[in-house]
Amino acid sequence: MRTYTILIAENDEDERFFMQQGFDEASGLFAVEALVKNGDALLEWLTLNAPRRPDVILSDLNMPGKNGYDVINELKIQPLYASIPVIITSTSPIQSTIERCLTLGAADYIVKPETFIEYGPFVRELHQRIRTKQLIPDAEEPS
Amino acid sequence: MTVTPVFDEEQVCTGYTCLLRDSTAVLEETIRLRDNEERYRLMVEGVKEYAIFLLDTGGHIVTWNEGAQRTKGYSPDEIVGKHFSIFYTAEDLEDGKPARELKIAIATGKYEEQGWRVKKDGSVFWANVVITALFNERNEHIGFSKVTRDLTETKYQQEALRESEERYRSLVEQVGDYGIFMMDEKGRIVSWNTGAQRINGYTTEEILGKYFSIFYTEEDILNGKPDFELRTARTVGTYKEEGWRLRKDGSKFWANVVITALYSSEKVFMGFSKVTRDLTERKQAELALRESYERFRSLAHTLKKTNTELAYANQELEQFTSIVSHDLQEPIRTIKSYLQLLDLKLDAEQYTDLKAYISRTIHAANRMRELIQNLLHYSQLSRGEILEVTMPTSELIEQALQNLKTSIERTQPEIRIECEVDAVKGDRVQLVQLLQNLLSNALKFTNAEKPLLTIRCTEVEGHVKFSVSDNGIGIAPGDYAKVFDMFRRLHTQKEYPGTGIGLTICKKIVDRHRGTIWLESEAGQGTTFHFTLYEKPSEHFV
Repeated sequence: MRTYTILIAENDEDERFFMQQGFDEASGLFAVEALVKNGDALLEWLTLNAPRRPDVILSDLNMPGKNGYDVINELKIQPLYASIPVIITSTSPIQSTIERCLTLGAADYIVKPETFIEYGPFVRELHQRIRTKQLIPDAEEPS
Repeated sequence: MTVTPVFDEEQVCTGYTCLLRDSTAVLEETIRLRDNEERYRLMVEGVKEYAIFLLDTGGHIVTWNEGAQRTKGYSPDEIVGKHFSIFYTAEDLEDGKPARELKIAIATGKYEEQGWRVKKDGSVFWANVVITALFNERNEHIGFSKVTRDLTETKYQQEALRESEERYRSLVEQVGDYGIFMMDEKGRIVSWNTGAQRINGYTTEEILGKYFSIFYTEEDILNGKPDFELRTARTVGTYKEEGWRLRKDGSKFWANVVITALYSSEKVFMGFSKVTRDLTERKQAELALRESYERFRSLAHTLKKTNTELAYANQELEQFTSIVSHDLQEPIRTIKSYLQLLDLKLDAEQYTDLKAYISRTIHAANRMRELIQNLLHYSQLSRGEILEVTMPTSELIEQALQNLKTSIERTQPEIRIECEVDAVKGDRVQLVQLLQNLLSNALKFTNAEKPLLTIRCTEVEGHVKFSVSDNGIGIAPGDYAKVFDMFRRLHTQKEYPGTGIGLTICKKIVDRHRGTIWLESEAGQGTTFHFTLYEKPSEHFV
């Protein structure tokens, strides 16, 4: 099974801590490039680490400064990053919010687990979805 | 010449007297008279349009001219010597009319009449008859002259005209939907029809001879309207208009009026005709329609307003839903997560970090409480009535600064107040909150060693405008609109603490005071927030 490189934006410090544990627990599915505090930090990371690009971006929706919507909007107009799938994650299961994200150009929307300790299953679900929906082209699969 | 023998006493002819008389003049006179008479005779005989003939004293026909032959159909041979009563109808004969006419002619010199006479073929014609009694120089009655003219054609034309006139008059008189009447050149009413009676309420007897201004309102009369209408009709031919007129009972009706100047065939001005229609019903329908239109427009306006209000309420509700699902959900998740973690750790008998987890839980709970309090505060702003008072501007600013006393003491800013407005109107508590929030932000988002706050209050285009400036960190242009969103923050909790509701509350207060709030900023240089009060019209829903 392929390991995807992932860049994560999440503003809540506690949540970041548990997310990291979840990704560690489901080892081999993702390689976490970085866990940044918001959209501004995410764009900054991409600029600083160019031309390195993560396979996928996981972004919280509700963040101070640039939020999830801003991330979708700003990445899709930059040729270098437009092809990176952005998956939005949020506590909100509201359909209108989900639709808005997908309409703007999000690759997918995954509701956050009810508690931080359920991040293990969340990470496995995320990987499953990426494969099922073929969000990352196979051509980029390392040989 | 006269030759007379002359005799002596013995009866012996002694000679002759010869008397020569010059009779040339007499002869000439005779010839002249004869010629004259001949001319008259020829003239009379030649007249074709008139029957001219002489009667003897008994009424027998003596002469007959061309016109008589043409008119009556008899030749001179047939008629001369006949009694003139031959031209009379049986009725007239029975009545003794011919003899009576002659008698009148003798008594008064002449008899004149128009009447039916009979032709040779028995047909009748309408005759103009003049019988003149003739007397000689010794005043002896010697006969009559009779001149007859056939007026049948004229008679028929007049009859036709009269009938036609009669037909039209009765037609006009019977028209019920239109008031049609005639006026003399001064505007006095000379005819009146059924429609006029129905519309104006006057009977023919009541109205004839009255001035038509009787139908006009006092105001119209004072303005000289009736006169103006007649003059216009006289000048341009007709005058048309729609307007209010008075009925006999004083009530008004909406009239369509056409006044036409009338001229005879010889172009002599004869007066006016006036045609009036009562369009009150149509007018009332129009008014009702307009009223109904106005009512619907007002209704549409109300609906539109309600719709805007609903849309606004809906938007607020959506915002609220979003807040409950995101902002309020997050601390709960944090609390639950740490409690579960504690549970796991306790099960595993791992007691390290437990204190830290509890501390995080309490922190999240506090945050939750803060958010709920802010949300309640905000919703109260939306619902409560604005308590409008007028207060000194200085008092307002002072109160806001007083509420921020602690942070002002801590940051020691330089505060400049440039106030050109003595007093402002609005809800005291809300306006203090508004200024306080802006000032609090100005103090919070700063890296400057010496924070500088400037509060300006000016009057712009009839409304009050406040500006609060700082020399703080500034806001990037792309983020201008975001700052007013509820719980929207540009910075992390760690950098600049807060819930992100301060400016949302500011916007709500400004909206409720029918103003506008906006900002100018340059990153690293500072920010100025401007707001106006009572700038928008009162019906503008906020």
